[in-house]
Amino acid sequence: MENFRLILLIFLVLCALFVSFSKNLLVSVVIFMSYSLIMSIIWVLLESPDLAITEAAVGAGVTSVLFFITLKRIGAIGKEHPDEQDETTKEINSRPAVKQFGKFYKGAAVTLGAAIIFALLLMVSNLPAFGDADNPYNNEVSERYLEKSIEETGAVNAVTGMILDYRAFDTFGESCVLFIAAACVLILLRDDKTDTTAKAIQDEKFEPVSDTILQTSAKILFPAILMFGIYILVNGHLSPGGGFSGGAIMGAGLILHVNAFGYKKTQRFFNEKTYKRVTVCALSFYCIAKSYSFFTGANHLESHIPLGNAGDIISSGLILPLNICVGLVVACTMYAFYTLFKKGGM
Amino acid sequence: MEMFRFMIAAIFMFCGVFCMASAVFGMFRFRYVLNRMHTAATADTFGLLLTMIGLIIWKGFGFEALKMIIIVGFFWVSGPVSSHLIARMEVSTNKKLEEECEVKKYGEL
Amino acid sequence: MGNMTNAYETLAVVLICCIAVLIVACLIRSVLGPRVTDRIVAVNSIGTMTIVIIAILSVLLEEAYLLDVCLIYAMISFVAVIVLTKIYTGVYREEEKEESQKEEK
Repeated sequence: MENFRLILLIFLVLCALFVSFSKNLLVSVVIFMSYSLIMSIIWVLLESPDLAITEAAVGAGVTSVLFFITLKRIGAIGKEHPDEQDETTKEINSRPAVKQFGKFYKGAAVTLGAAIIFALLLMVSNLPAFGDADNPYNNEVSERYLEKSIEETGAVNAVTGMILDYRAFDTFGESCVLFIAAACVLILLRDDKTDTTAKAIQDEKFEPVSDTILQTSAKILFPAILMFGIYILVNGHLSPGGGFSGGAIMGAGLILHVNAFGYKKTQRFFNEKTYKRVTVCALSFYCIAKSYSFFTGANHLESHIPLGNAGDIISSGLILPLNICVGLVVACTMYAFYTLFKKGGM
Repeated sequence: MEMFRFMIAAIFMFCGVFCMASAVFGMFRFRYVLNRMHTAATADTFGLLLTMIGLIIWKGFGFEALKMIIIVGFFWVSGPVSSHLIARMEVSTNKKLEEECEVKKYGEL
Repeated sequence: MGNMTNAYETLAVVLICCIAVLIVACLIRSVLGPRVTDRIVAVNSIGTMTIVIIAILSVLLEEAYLLDVCLIYAMISFVAVIVLTKIYTGVYREEEKEESQKEEK
């Protein structure tokens, strides 16, 4: 087992080196796809399945897709053009002062990098041993979470109980950050003046038509992906997973649907109006529900929401609806990112 | 009896890993993408299936085994599609395709 | 019976070590591969081996819900390939058309 860990760590270091040294951005992104795969194995080895599921859902379905679209937008995909320097750049680069500064810059960068690596390695050698019982993070807070979470929150999965009950305010902030990010992308990339569907058709003229093979498999897989996302979402308080990973899976399913069947068919059930309504409703429900629970909790009032039997699907009070809200926000945001980056509108 | 079961599971899983090893070997041995894809498909189909059968024999038939069968089923739906798309991209973006893989016209056969 | 469990554990650890070495080999292929498609094929087979490793680990650690991770990979790992092939082919054809227009002029 020790050897296995060692091989995986060597893989991660090699992968990071190759990604940072490759000259072509597209190649970097393609190699980087393998990094998240190995990271999820490492999360499994460290026995944190929640993180493994999130890493799988986000790394496989969403990040690389967003990277590819961004590369297309900045024009980094395509035939490799040799670096063309115009005359003024060449003239500036040939000045002796600039050359000397270049030498100094390289030397300083190497020295600084070596110093930082040395300091960090020194730091690592002084850290407490991995998995030791006397480590500082094994304090009364985690003890309380582990011992009392089933009794106090009703969630079998202690992680979900933690993030949606003890620290639900943090999670509310995270959902709002997602919403704000989508709003920023909307402001920056939305294109009101040109007709986005016409632009998308113009843009897709060169892209290959999605053929029968892709469409048939999408017909089989799209309902399965959505159902599996809902399963992860609804089972968040019983098994690993929860709002974020379930939402990311559903978002990936929507992206698959767009790619296989085109925008028109997706707009039948998911357009800008749906996006706005779903996101705003989910966020405001989250806000109201959590305000209620904070109000009753802070004033020592009795909360009238029953916790139910721990282990049942409808149990643990507010956690299940909150999970569904977070999942809906995440799914809508992922899909909105994709369409906004692709054609500047939904 | 336990010993027998262990032997069968071990044989299946070693066969699966052997399929994957031969796929990786082929990816280094062949010179062109379409050929490499052909060997990589060995890992995608038989490597996955044989290892999963070995795991099912190890664990006994139950809920986990059902999940593993579902995994193989879904992977066999999604894997060939991505292979098909990669092959189509290779054929449509490679200008020197005829040099690489000796495309023969129908009349020449 | 305890003897048998040990045997199974040894088998699983040997197998996952073998697959990890194969993964490193695939990484080298994905770095060497001259064309983009070579790299995608290599990364795809890293994905398959990841599924196998996580399945073996889920049986070894006796935590059945880890199979959910495999299911996620089996279902949605090809979405990235779909998007990449679409975009790459589109950009390539566009550039080709522009070049042919330039030559006509």
